Amino acid sequence: MSKQQCVTIKGTKDGLVLRLDDKCAYSELLEELGKKAQDPGLDGAVEVQIHTGSRYCNDETAKEIIKVVETPGNLRVSKIQSDVITMEECNRRVTERQSETYIGIVRSGQEVRAKGDLVVIGDVNPNGHVSAAGSIYILGRLKGKAHAGNAGNKEAVIAASWLEATHLMIADQVETMTDELAILSEHPEMECAYLHTNGFIAIDRLQDLRLLRPGLSTFKGGS
Amino acid sequence: MGEAIVITSGKGGVGKTTSSANLGTALALQGKKVCLVDTDIGLRNLDVILGLENRIIYDLVDVIEGRCRIQQALVKDKRFEDRLFLLPAAQTTDKNAVNPEQMKDLITELKRDYDYILIDCPAGIEQGYKNAVAGADKAIVVTTPEISAVRDADRIIGLLEQEDIEPPKLIINRIRGGLIDSGDTLDVNDITTHLSIDLLGIVLDDQNVISSSNKGEPVVMDPNNPAALGYRNIARRILGESVPLMSVNTGKPGFFGKLKALFTK
Repeated sequence: MSKQQCVTIKGTKDGLVLRLDDKCAYSELLEELGKKAQDPGLDGAVEVQIHTGSRYCNDETAKEIIKVVETPGNLRVSKIQSDVITMEECNRRVTERQSETYIGIVRSGQEVRAKGDLVVIGDVNPNGHVSAAGSIYILGRLKGKAHAGNAGNKEAVIAASWLEATHLMIADQVETMTDELAILSEHPEMECAYLHTNGFIAIDRLQDLRLLRPGLSTFKGGS
Repeated sequence: MGEAIVITSGKGGVGKTTSSANLGTALALQGKKVCLVDTDIGLRNLDVILGLENRIIYDLVDVIEGRCRIQQALVKDKRFEDRLFLLPAAQTTDKNAVNPEQMKDLITELKRDYDYILIDCPAGIEQGYKNAVAGADKAIVVTTPEISAVRDADRIIGLLEQEDIEPPKLIINRIRGGLIDSGDTLDVNDITTHLSIDLLGIVLDDQNVISSSNKGEPVVMDPNNPAALGYRNIARRILGESVPLMSVNTGKPGFFGKLKALFTK
């Protein structure tokens, strides 16, 4: 048969990869995919990755592809990769990585939310609330509530010139700043809060952030 | 065209009404034409402090509902010729009897005839507050050196900053030098850095404030009273004069005090 095949199986160091052709018709692709998945050469539960190339897969088509591949029972899809994303998805990713800046005082009863990182230039007064999907950086006094990583990012941190918060939250962990945390009342200057590996929120000097969360730095170069 | 200033605090009992009465009186003493508007419908006090309680015939709700003209409802304070008037609040209904648009129209009408309209705001951040702020051009926030009052002031400043008015200014009321000295209360600097708005003035705590309020004579009429001096200074600052901030007398004798004590022994 001279017809080019729509599905090629490749072995890589991460396991089997099903590379789907992005030029052929979708129905043809599914048909061939179904045949390939029933290949008697494959036995046991094999994990495969699927690369769709430049073909865009929304959630529904992705589900359909997974279903076709997994139905014979030999293969399990570990992930689907694609070279294209929608503008919407792209914008969402950009906002998540962006940092938003708020200049002013977050007063009692006010709430400031950010989809990415949040930089506050000013104080956060008691009963004021700052919340971000990323990290929170405050050039001023944090005397209210702060919630970093509100969508579940455990790597997020809360840093402030004066960390005197009443409540600190990172991902789903809450810490109320009671008198037992003597470190706060003694040296509130230039500190950062992060989620320690023991699962609790820890507070350290701002200077240690470089070692605690090296991934937060996005700056390249500067030798 | 005059300007309307709302006097508010969030918390109750910090001296909004007392400050309104005294600042209104002080501005009238300076020769300005002043109208005080009590918006604390249902819990009116401003008339009592000014000693005008038994002269009220119509009130703010009567004006808004069209039962009388503004001029009929205004109560004149005879001590100041034609310079101090009060628009009293109604006592028989509640804050929902009025809405912000009606208040705005009312204040706009008053601004034509008066230099200053001081709006005494009720405690809280509900309907009464919204009514009081609706017509104002400026705002004064009153607080006392207590953490609870400062918290509420912070909240109210946050709300005022979202309104279409000038940035609010601060009055710290009932300052007690002795307590600041012993570190048992917040000092002026603590409060202003926490709230970070301009300080319009401070008023010392004085027992004559209460006794004169009970008599229906605002304390500011007594030129020798320390609290009166605070209010007079604030009134002068409202008029645009630059008056240095008075020092808080902490009760400790200064150098000359000690010297004097040495000779009078």
